[in-house]
Amino acid sequence: MTFDETLAEQIRMCAACPKMCRHVCPTFFAWRSDSPTPHGRALLIHQSIIGTREIDERGIEVLFQCLECSHCLTWCKPEIDIATIVEEQRRVLVAEERRPKGLDEMALAIKQYHNPYSEPHASRNNWLSIKKKKEGKSLFYFTGCTAAYREQEIASSTVELLESLGYRISIGNGSSDEWCCGSPLFRTGDIELGLEQARHNTQMLNELDVEAIVVTCPGCFRVLSKDYPEHGLVLNKPVRHISELLDEIKDHLPAADFEGKITYHDPCHLGRHSNIYDAPRNVIKQVSHSNLTEMERTRDNAMCCGNGAGLRTLFPEHAKKIGMERVQQAKQSGASILVTSCPFCKNMLQSQSGNDLTVLDLPELVLQAKRSRKVKTH
Amino acid sequence: MLDSKTVKKLHKRLVSIVGTDYVHQQETDRVLNAHDAWPLSEAKLRSGEILPLADLIVYPATREEVSAILVAANEMEIPITPVGGGAGTCGGTLPIYGGIQLDLKRMSKIYEIDNQSMTIRAQAGVVGIDLEETANRHGYTLGHTPTSLRASNLGGFIATRSGGSMSSLYGKIEDLTLGLEVVLPDGSIIECKSVPRHSVGPDLRQLFIGSEGTLGVITEATLRLFPLPEERRFRSFSFPDIHSGLEAIRNIFRIGINPSIVRLYDPEDAAMSFSMHFEFEEGHCMLLLGFDGDIAHVNLDEDKSVDICNNHGGTDLGEGPSKRWWEHRYDMYYPTRLTTSGYAIGDTIDIVATYDKLENVYHSMKKVMEATGAIVMSHFSHMYQNGGSIYMIFFTSQPDAETAWAIYKKIWDDGVAACLKEGGTMSHQHGVGLSRSTYVDDELGSAFQVLKKIKESLDPKGIMNPGKLGLGVRK
Ligand SMILES: Cc1cc2nc3c(=O)[nH]c(=O)nc-3n(C[C@H](O)[C@H](O)[C@H](O)COP(=O)(O)OP(=O)(O)OC[C@H]3O[C@@H](n4cnc5c(N)ncnc54)[C@H](O)[C@@H]3O)c2cc1C
Ligand code: SF4
Repeated sequence: MTFDETLAEQIRMCAACPKMCRHVCPTFFAWRSDSPTPHGRALLIHQSIIGTREIDERGIEVLFQCLECSHCLTWCKPEIDIATIVEEQRRVLVAEERRPKGLDEMALAIKQYHNPYSEPHASRNNWLSIKKKKEGKSLFYFTGCTAAYREQEIASSTVELLESLGYRISIGNGSSDEWCCGSPLFRTGDIELGLEQARHNTQMLNELDVEAIVVTCPGCFRVLSKDYPEHGLVLNKPVRHISELLDEIKDHLPAADFEGKITYHDPCHLGRHSNIYDAPRNVIKQVSHSNLTEMERTRDNAMCCGNGAGLRTLFPEHAKKIGMERVQQAKQSGASILVTSCPFCKNMLQSQSGNDLTVLDLPELVLQAKRSRKVKTH
Repeated sequence: MLDSKTVKKLHKRLVSIVGTDYVHQQETDRVLNAHDAWPLSEAKLRSGEILPLADLIVYPATREEVSAILVAANEMEIPITPVGGGAGTCGGTLPIYGGIQLDLKRMSKIYEIDNQSMTIRAQAGVVGIDLEETANRHGYTLGHTPTSLRASNLGGFIATRSGGSMSSLYGKIEDLTLGLEVVLPDGSIIECKSVPRHSVGPDLRQLFIGSEGTLGVITEATLRLFPLPEERRFRSFSFPDIHSGLEAIRNIFRIGINPSIVRLYDPEDAAMSFSMHFEFEEGHCMLLLGFDGDIAHVNLDEDKSVDICNNHGGTDLGEGPSKRWWEHRYDMYYPTRLTTSGYAIGDTIDIVATYDKLENVYHSMKKVMEATGAIVMSHFSHMYQNGGSIYMIFFTSQPDAETAWAIYKKIWDDGVAACLKEGGTMSHQHGVGLSRSTYVDDELGSAFQVLKKIKESLDPKGIMNPGKLGLGVRK
């Protein structure tokens, strides 16, 4: 049995809930139906547990529509974590070879190329130029697939910034061969293939002679710091998210005048899943002379960008609708710069931002300040 | 349920109106969208029953699409059940005779705020909290604060004649709705103009407010707005019994004070809701008061209310209990282990009566409901100059489904009968739906024929939400 008694009880409770958190569920927002909602998913699983109804093809779709943003958890008094429950159910479906086709393709790409984008593995990080430094605290920058292939500005800004701050940076290239962290696999229930990536990365990272591993992607951060150890894969050096690292040395960060207000979007994997809310804000305040304005939905009540857990792969139009809404919320705050701290979020938000909002990742913002260049707001 | 040929034909017709993406036919969607928040549906789902399903669910985006759907349903004589937020508590959205569920959730546009007239106009499918937050951004409140604000939508509020917890000051939805657009069963679109008052015959708006989808589909409404109050103040008192608490309330209204919150908890409910957090005498009732407005006004109302409470034997407990209730008002609706285990079931009979009858209604209902072995706890809320509502909350847990559903029905039958016998009315705000459908005849008496005749004339084929509100019940 997949669900122990405690979980089955929680699923039953949620299946009988009068939809108390549905108003913040991004997939409810995108579809406006009671199917892709926390209560809807729980009811599906409950009916399958007690033998009322099997989960059919459409049920599978509904379960794989969950972004795993855990926004519902913020509003759930009995603290039922539907995202984790859905992830458990996805594992069963993957084991039964019943996951949606689109995700088969994604998994195959990771298996073959070690990234979900089917890009050649050899070109993962070979375009990133690293200074051969002898001095400075040594950091390994685990770029992650999105910054390596899709949001390269983030990777290059991160390297340039950290080097300018005195760090000695190394990256996964050549002998230290970085693979996909496995996040898209863990989150969509493909533990086996996820662990294949994880084992490789753990061995590679543990052999490195560096003081810490730094990541810009909260998805990578969550799997490296939580999923790997949960599966007995323990890293022998600390994993730091770039926001924490910059927060620690914030007194050494430059400050500049930015044109217009800045607002910050909390990535789900960094905020709700890793409880990091203040670090990125401290950094933004430091580099912008406290020019930070909050959106109405913020911190543990922040709306997801729509790019998580395979939704954009399977349902691009609905994912974009969610991204567009988040961009509207940013604009409503009066900001002209939207900062996030996740390549995945940046990718989605930028694609929906239009001409009156500049979207930047945290290291990009800091680098802009360092260059003391006014940020163009289009 | 329809035969497969009819479903196919209907599907084609609906797709031609709204497009393929917005007609759902799959069983999973029909199962997950069948129910509202009727506790009996929730308990049945928990225990593994499948509820009645629609044949198709359709999601229109405009009034014209709603109209075309109704024309099709009328032509083909297919039952049609409107769905708002799907958080009603009476089974109103259950498609008991199959057919179409017409879900309004995609109709979520907020058109405009008129600052001069202090109104807001929106489509029926906008979720309550989205409408309230939009109003708040402009310095207003809807004044409509039901605890289903996050799940229910504008059309649902209106279709059920719902009431917020501050209705004593701001009014219920029937007081707050100025303009209304409705699509009739034959597809015609009618508008009840947005005006503060009028004298052009009976108020037709009121015909549709509370019609629960049996007379047409509400597609748009204009609501009143209120400036956000400068001050919201809380005050609480304990009283030795229901009578003294009610007397205090009655006298507060009598001198022209309209508190925003007035809630009197009977000893059982007071113990359950407050004894863990506040010290007060065992067996006492708890009165919660709230005052909204400018500071001078609030000061005056509060001072006078405090005097009245003191004069009626109240013990001042400060702002604590009242403020705590406000901050935690959504908590009691979340599922708990106890309320969702085995064949446990609870519900609320939200009756209303004038002051002369209110206490008798309370005692009679409590007596017959408790006689079934149920736990009963109650609070008086939504109070007005002439009377108010009682939330008669009950809970029972039985060894098997058959007994549980039978006891549940008996509590309702006996509770409503006692209410009617003492001159009360069986619902203040939740509506009738399926749970109270069989009592409408007794409740309305000779007036029921008027409603039936209106139904027959507007919906001669009986397609609109049959079986609800005591109308269109089929064999
Ligand atoms: C947690 C919780 C708290 C609640 N608190 C309150 C409260 O404080 N006050 C209160 O009054 N009620 C409360 N309710 C009851 C309920 O939410 C309200 O009655 C609400 O008005 C129902 O709205 P809905 O959008 O959820 O309607 P639904 O459940 O979708 O529909 C209710 C009925 O109206 C019909 N209908 C819906 N939309 C339309 C439309 N556009 N045109 C025609 N017919 C339509 C449906 O067919 C159905 O018969 C609560 C319910 C819950 C679950
Ligand atoms: S996650 Fe919590 S609040 Fe949301 S539907 Fe489930 S029980 Fe209700």
